[in-house]
Amino acid sequence: MTLRATKAPVGRTTGESVREYGRGVAGGLLFSLPLLYTAEVWWAGTTMEAPRQLAYLAITFLLLLGYNRYAGLHPDSSWTEVGIDSVEELGLGLVLSALILYTLGRIGGQQHIDDNLGRIVVEAMTIAIGVSVGTAQLGGGESEPGMAGTDRVTFGGQLVLSCCGAVLFAANVAPTQEVGVLGTEMSPLRLIGVAVISLFLGAVILHHSDFRGAQRWVRADTIGAMLRGTVVTYAVALGVSAAILWVFGRLDGVGVNTIVGQTIVLGFPAALGASAGRLLLQ
Amino acid sequence: MKRALEKNSLEWTVFGVALILLVATLAHLVREAVTAGASPPEVVVQLGTPKRVEEGFQVPVTVANRGDHTAEDLSVTITLALTAEREEAVLTIAFLPPRSRRDGWVTFRGDPRGGELQVGPVGYASP
Repeated sequence: MTLRATKAPVGRTTGESVREYGRGVAGGLLFSLPLLYTAEVWWAGTTMEAPRQLAYLAITFLLLLGYNRYAGLHPDSSWTEVGIDSVEELGLGLVLSALILYTLGRIGGQQHIDDNLGRIVVEAMTIAIGVSVGTAQLGGGESEPGMAGTDRVTFGGQLVLSCCGAVLFAANVAPTQEVGVLGTEMSPLRLIGVAVISLFLGAVILHHSDFRGAQRWVRADTIGAMLRGTVVTYAVALGVSAAILWVFGRLDGVGVNTIVGQTIVLGFPAALGASAGRLLLQ
Repeated sequence: MKRALEKNSLEWTVFGVALILLVATLAHLVREAVTAGASPPEVVVQLGTPKRVEEGFQVPVTVANRGDHTAEDLSVTITLALTAEREEAVLTIAFLPPRSRRDGWVTFRGDPRGGELQVGPVGYASP
């Protein structure tokens, strides 16, 4: 989460670092407060088994590595720096999560440590991504990310940013009961409707609405390229949607119809995140 | 391209603390994963000493889960059998994680000392 906008390789003063962490904290809470205030997320922390929590940690760390590598940072940051930043963000996420959950009375001495830790870890992951985004995006003036000629549209980089955007938007909705209700009760025709709307919105945002950064980051000169970009973005959204649902235990012991239904339902916010969110995260 | 990491002491401190927290969390989760058993939730109910309150008699209930899985939608029925009548109270707990306990209370109109307190049917699901 370090930003180097200055030309000369000079380290930051303590004051600058403090301001940077301040932005991180603000961003972390901005994006994750809905989750900190959601009962289903506390319960997910209670019931989630340790291996799944480890997987959640690993996925989040990979996303942070990707985000720190492809957005916000100076393009010549080494992987070591990216790794250090990602560890810092996860650590800040854990501390913020513990602090807020304790203040809200959701963790404490009367519960088993596994229970407390589960709640902290589950909440900390979105906070960590928020910290990363906040540090890079909420800065003013000279620390504007994406400067210094980073005008590169690499396919892998855009894919990673789409994932981050999708996670940030879909994670706030995924643990709620409503996704399960919708995924189970909606008829196939309505599900197709949601999928069509998701695809359509993705296409409009990426190619037809003059969205901030769309001209710069999404280069599609032919109809074929537009279609490809739209479909790839929606595929990322569906993948992220299924992964988050799995993390929160929503796919355990349910039939294929429910799995597909929930994935499409959550794929809607994920698609918005993967298209609009991704452009805002650059 | 190689260049030295430009970090001040505050940043190194934050990184150090973050690394320690992360490693400790990982270590705990790995240990939890390795030592986790597979037994279903096993709920044990204990009743405390009744206390006289305005509404009647309050009985403390401690519910513990000794299994390896969380008990969900847990309901504990506690009955008080007096000579003339029978009173029933139901305590519900949304989630009871493994190796955890919750404290609750049930209140009866009759005096439990003049009858028999029993823990009735206990039901729960595993998420």
